[in-house]
Amino acid sequence: MNDLIPLMVIVPIIAAILLNLFIKYNTTIKILSFLVAIVLPIIPILSNYGLHYFGGHAPLMDNGTLLNSLPSYISDGPLSTFHIGITYSFESLQKILIFFLFVVGFLCIFTTIGERKRTPGSYMFLMLMGLAAVTAMLLSDDIFHMYIFFEIAVVAQVGIILASTDNQRYEIAMKYMILGSIGGPILLTGIGFLLGLVGSVNITDIVYVVRNGLVNANSPVFLFSFGLIFFGWLYSVGLPPFHTIKSAVYSKAVPSGSALLQALSVVIFISLGIAIFRIYSSVPFIGVFIIFFSLCGMILSLTMAIMENDFKRMIGFLAVGELGYIGLGFGLGTKLSLTAALFQGLNEMIITATLFIGFGVVLYMTKTSDITKLGGLIEKNPKIAIIVLLGGFAMAGVPPLNGFQSKLMLVQSALSDNFPELAVIMILISIVTFMTFIKAFHSVYLKPKPKNLVIENSDVPRSSVLVMVVLIAICIVLGVVPTLVTDGFSGFVGGLI
Amino acid sequence: MIDTQLAALLSSGSFIIIGLYAAVFIDNIIKKIIGLSFIEEGANMFLIALAYRTDGVVPIFLPGMTPEWFASNSAYPLPHALVLTSIVIGASTLAVMLAIAMVLYRKHGSLSASVILGDKHE
Repeated sequence: MNDLIPLMVIVPIIAAILLNLFIKYNTTIKILSFLVAIVLPIIPILSNYGLHYFGGHAPLMDNGTLLNSLPSYISDGPLSTFHIGITYSFESLQKILIFFLFVVGFLCIFTTIGERKRTPGSYMFLMLMGLAAVTAMLLSDDIFHMYIFFEIAVVAQVGIILASTDNQRYEIAMKYMILGSIGGPILLTGIGFLLGLVGSVNITDIVYVVRNGLVNANSPVFLFSFGLIFFGWLYSVGLPPFHTIKSAVYSKAVPSGSALLQALSVVIFISLGIAIFRIYSSVPFIGVFIIFFSLCGMILSLTMAIMENDFKRMIGFLAVGELGYIGLGFGLGTKLSLTAALFQGLNEMIITATLFIGFGVVLYMTKTSDITKLGGLIEKNPKIAIIVLLGGFAMAGVPPLNGFQSKLMLVQSALSDNFPELAVIMILISIVTFMTFIKAFHSVYLKPKPKNLVIENSDVPRSSVLVMVVLIAICIVLGVVPTLVTDGFSGFVGGLI
Repeated sequence: MIDTQLAALLSSGSFIIIGLYAAVFIDNIIKKIIGLSFIEEGANMFLIALAYRTDGVVPIFLPGMTPEWFASNSAYPLPHALVLTSIVIGASTLAVMLAIAMVLYRKHGSLSASVILGDKHE
């Protein structure tokens, strides 16, 4: 059922608009957002693999009658292969990632409904718009279409930050918007250079033109376009020099919002990363560029995480640092490394959602995120402590959890690609991540409870506990049976390379 | 006489550089936002300049035109369509930034970026 492919974008957008219309009706908003959130993961399961041409505009080659009626310089040349309209491509990668993205989206919406007596319709609107935007980015085979939905995702992300109660949310939102307003147009200018060279913004068309030598892949204009698009990518994913603002963004949102923001960032990372990999795979040193910025992101973020006393900022930095693993997979550029990178991206979505919501429970109970003021919470809520501990183990790559499997694959790919130093760095960073997490866990749960610590809310919302159980169950299942998703990723990567 | 397309490309480059200067070096947040708008419009103008064709015609196929003549004389319509979408997105982000700037002004009583966006706020 290829017609279902655009529904993955259309349904959340329509639902978001409806939620805005019913903004005064709390029960309607709760029911509608819950129903939409539960329907969304079903759509990618029911959809068949294939292409969807908007407006029915298939390439001329697929329309023999029309092709024969056109002049020979069109019918016999590369123009006959060009995609006239916007194309959505739905393959195994999209199926897996969109399914899990919608699952995380559902869990975040469910947490919000459970935690708040009055569910803000505008917040639900932003969550659904964010989901729709990044889904469109993942599905789209059109780099300009990706840029447009990236900008929409940025505005939705800013809205999610503003929906929190943090004192500094407006300042961080403004900083993020300012950087976005530089990164976005630079990305657009890069796309403009590609358009000028190729005459199309369809990624498959651009790849066709480059691979057939119709555009010189070593020309200064092509390399300049790479530089501009790469800069936009760094901003969008929070790699240096944007790692600080990205972690600040995570720390200012409400926990369910932070979980969703990280999921959105991962999907943006992967969708733009794959586009860059496809278009610029022939550019010399592209892998070195990606590896360099990824390593810088990992090391800088981890260094900042170690020094933090605010657990929200700490998890934010750890989340940004973990994104570097995906970059390393892309940088190595082999089938195994790309499969591992995609698997790591999926794991990141699940693990950081667990940690954000888990530490969000601490914030809900104590109203503070300063680890120096916390302690002894394991006595209050041992079940939550165990789930958070498992989430931390998964992030650090402890077997048999999902983070272990993806990181093991990344280490194996680095070793098989003759980069043993990269493998060593990855293992060292995992160890430091583990130590940083244990520091936060010890401060919050294990050390004696400070006398002046007041537990303001001792009843943890059941919805949050349920969501954490589901997320950690996914971590365990993917850790024990990674082939559930890696086979699909591997199939996609095989076609990509 | 400078070529129109070259002039447009140079103008778009100037817009982007002026905008970057304003966004990075000017302290007033409203002027920063104006600078960011310059960058956005510079990128849009760059796309429009790409579509330009000297002595070309509007890309509408009219009776009496042959496909060959049309293909070699019309401007390229795709960037026009892209820029239209880009302008809408740019206007939306501009509106959000100005709204946040209003809230920040009410909160801090200042439009100085160093006051309201200082590192201490992170």
